[in-house]
Amino acid sequence: MRKLGKMERARIDVTGLGKTYGPVTALTGVDLTVAAGSVLAVLGHNGAGKTTLVDILATRTRPSTGKASVCGYDVATHGHEVRRRIALTGQFASVDETLSARGNLVLFARLLGAPARAAKARAEELLEVFGLTEAADRPALTYSGGMRRRLDLAACLVGSPEVLFLDEPTTGLDPVSRTGLWATVRHLARSGTTVVLTTQYLEEADRLADRIVVLAAGAVVAGGTPAELKARVGARTTTVTFRDEWSARWAVEEFQRIGLAPTLDPDAYTVTAALPDAGVILALLRALDRYGLDLADLTVTEPTLDEVYLSLHRAKWQQPPAPAAVERDTA
Amino acid sequence: MNARHARTTRAPEPHDRTGWTGSTLRTQVWVLTARSLRAAFGDYRLVFFGLLQPVVLLLLFSQVFSGVGSLPGVAAYDGYINYLMPATLVNIAMITAMGAGAGLVAETYTGVVGRFRSLPISPVSVLLARTFADTARLAVQLVVIVVAAVLLLRFRPDGGPFGLAAAVLLTLVVGWGLSWVFVAIATWQRNVELMQAVSFIAMYPLMFSSSAYMPLQNMPAWVRAVATVNPLTYAIDAARALALGRSPGWALPLAVLLAMVAALGGGAAAARNFRRSA
Ligand SMILES: Nc1ncnc2c1ncn2[C@@H]1O[C@H](COP(=O)(O)OP(=O)(O)OP(=O)(O)O)[C@@H](O)[C@H]1O
Ligand SMILES: [Mg+2]
Repeated sequence: MRKLGKMERARIDVTGLGKTYGPVTALTGVDLTVAAGSVLAVLGHNGAGKTTLVDILATRTRPSTGKASVCGYDVATHGHEVRRRIALTGQFASVDETLSARGNLVLFARLLGAPARAAKARAEELLEVFGLTEAADRPALTYSGGMRRRLDLAACLVGSPEVLFLDEPTTGLDPVSRTGLWATVRHLARSGTTVVLTTQYLEEADRLADRIVVLAAGAVVAGGTPAELKARVGARTTTVTFRDEWSARWAVEEFQRIGLAPTLDPDAYTVTAALPDAGVILALLRALDRYGLDLADLTVTEPTLDEVYLSLHRAKWQQPPAPAAVERDTA
Repeated sequence: MNARHARTTRAPEPHDRTGWTGSTLRTQVWVLTARSLRAAFGDYRLVFFGLLQPVVLLLLFSQVFSGVGSLPGVAAYDGYINYLMPATLVNIAMITAMGAGAGLVAETYTGVVGRFRSLPISPVSVLLARTFADTARLAVQLVVIVVAAVLLLRFRPDGGPFGLAAAVLLTLVVGWGLSWVFVAIATWQRNVELMQAVSFIAMYPLMFSSSAYMPLQNMPAWVRAVATVNPLTYAIDAARALALGRSPGWALPLAVLLAMVAALGGGAAAARNFRRSA
C-alpha cells in the first residue's frame, strides 16, 4: 500500500529554475521532470551548474527564479516536508570527522528518528555493504578519500529516502567501489527510489540513467534517454594499434574495404574509425586476420562528454574543446 | 577481500519497514549535544590545554595587577584575588562562548553541518546542542579554576561555598546567552578568520571596559561611560556580589535578563542564517 503511494508522489518537477550569485548565473531557465522510481543523470562540465541544481532540490540553496517541487512539495516553501523524503550526498564529504564511521551512521539514524538499537543495527548493515567494517571504529579523519566517500554514501542510505540526490558520487572511488555503487543505485531504483545523480562521465550516465540532461553554463542543452543522446552524438570509435607502420598502412585499406572511414596515425601505428554498429568489429577482425596482421592493442571507446558538447554545439558554453576531440573532428 | 566482494554484490535494502523520517526536537538536541560533548571531551590534549588556559589567565592577572589591590575601591575587598576572581569567571565564559562560534564555523568546513542542513531536523536543535555542549565545557572550566584559585591563590570569598556556587551558576547562564551572540556571528560570517576578527573586536571592549580588573571609579570618564552600558559589567558585578556574600541588587536580574535577550536575539538570527545559503 505504502509503496503505491510512494510511486505516485516520488517525483520532481522543475520549471523555469534559475539561480544567480551576484553577477554569476549558475542556473537559468531549467525545466525538467523526473518520474517516480527513475534515475536521472545530470551531465556537465565543471561549473555547469550541477551542484547548484542538486542543492536547490535538496533545499540547501534557495532558487532565485522559477519553481521546483520534490515529492509534491515546493522546495522553497515546504523545505521540511522535502527533507523528510530525501537524502543527499553532496560533492564534498559531509560527515563528522571526529566520529568513526559507526558513530556517524548511528548519529544520522538517530536524527532520523531511529531508536538506539535499530540505529546500531542499520549502521552495522551499511558498514558491511560499503566495506567499512574494518575501519568502523577509527575517526573518519583518518580515512582515505575513497573511504570517506563511501561513508558519505552510506550515510544517505541510513533512512528510506524516496528521492536520493548524489552529487558526483563516483568521483574518487576505485573501480571496485564504483561498480558497487552502480549496483546499489540500480537496486534502489528497482525498489522504487527516485535517484538524481550528477556526473562528468557519459559512460556512467549511460549505465545508470533512464534519462539524461546535459547542463552547460547553467542551461539544459540536451535531454533524453541515453540511447537518444548517443544517437545524436554518434557512434563508438575503435582504435587499433599495430606493431609497425607498414601493418598500419596496410590495415587502412582493409578498414576501407569493409566500409569504415579510418584515420591513420603513422607515428603511433594506430588506425581509428567510427563504428556504425558493434557487428562491424567482427568483420574488421576477420579482415585483419586474413592477412595475418599482428595487433598490439584494440580499444572501443564510448563517445565522451566532449563529443556530446561538440555535437550539440548549441548556445553559449565556453568550455575549450579537448585537443583529442578537435583532432578527430578535423581528420 | 571479503569486504570488497560484499561491496560489489550486495546492495542495502531501502527502508520501507522503518519509515524513519524525522525525530522529536528533544531527541535531536540530546543526540547532537552528546555528539558535541564527545568531540569536546574526546581529545585529552584538548581538554588539558582547554583547562590550563583559564588557570594561566588567572595567575597572570592576579600577579601582574596585584598592585591594584591597594587602590581605593579594591582595598575593601581584602585582597585583589577576591575582586578579580568573579570577573575572571565571566571572562572565561566569554572566551568559551567565542569558541562556540569558532567551533560552528570549523564544523561547517568539515561539512557535517552541510549534511544537517539537508536532514529533516530543526536548525534550532543543531544550534542549541552546540551551545549546551559549550556550556558544559564551561562548567568544567569554572570548577577547575575555582579549585585552582582556592588552592593556589588563597581565594576565600565571604559568600562561602554557596555564594561561589551561585556565582558559577550565574556565569553559566551568562555564558550560555553570550554563546548565542557568537553563534549568530558564525552563521553570518562563515569564515574562520573573519569570524575571529569580528569576535575579537567584540571581545576586548567587553572584557576590559568593564569592572572586571579595576573599579569604574578609577577609569577615565569615557571608559566609565562605555563600561556602564557594557552588559558584562552587570554580570561581573552580580557574580562578584554573589561570591562575596553581598547583595547583588539590580545587577543580578539585569544580568540574567540580558543573557536571555542575547540568547533569543542571537538564536533568532542564527536560525535564520543557518537555513539561508550564500
Ligand atoms: N556560493 C557561490 N557564490 C558564487 N558563485 C557560485 C557559488 N556557488 C556556485 N557558484 C557558481 O555557479 C556556477 C555553477 O556552479 P556549480 O557548483 O553548480 O557547478 P558544477 O556543475 O557542480 O561544477 P563541478 O563539476 O565543478 O562540481 C559556477 O560558475 C560557480 O562559480
Ligand atoms: Mg559540483
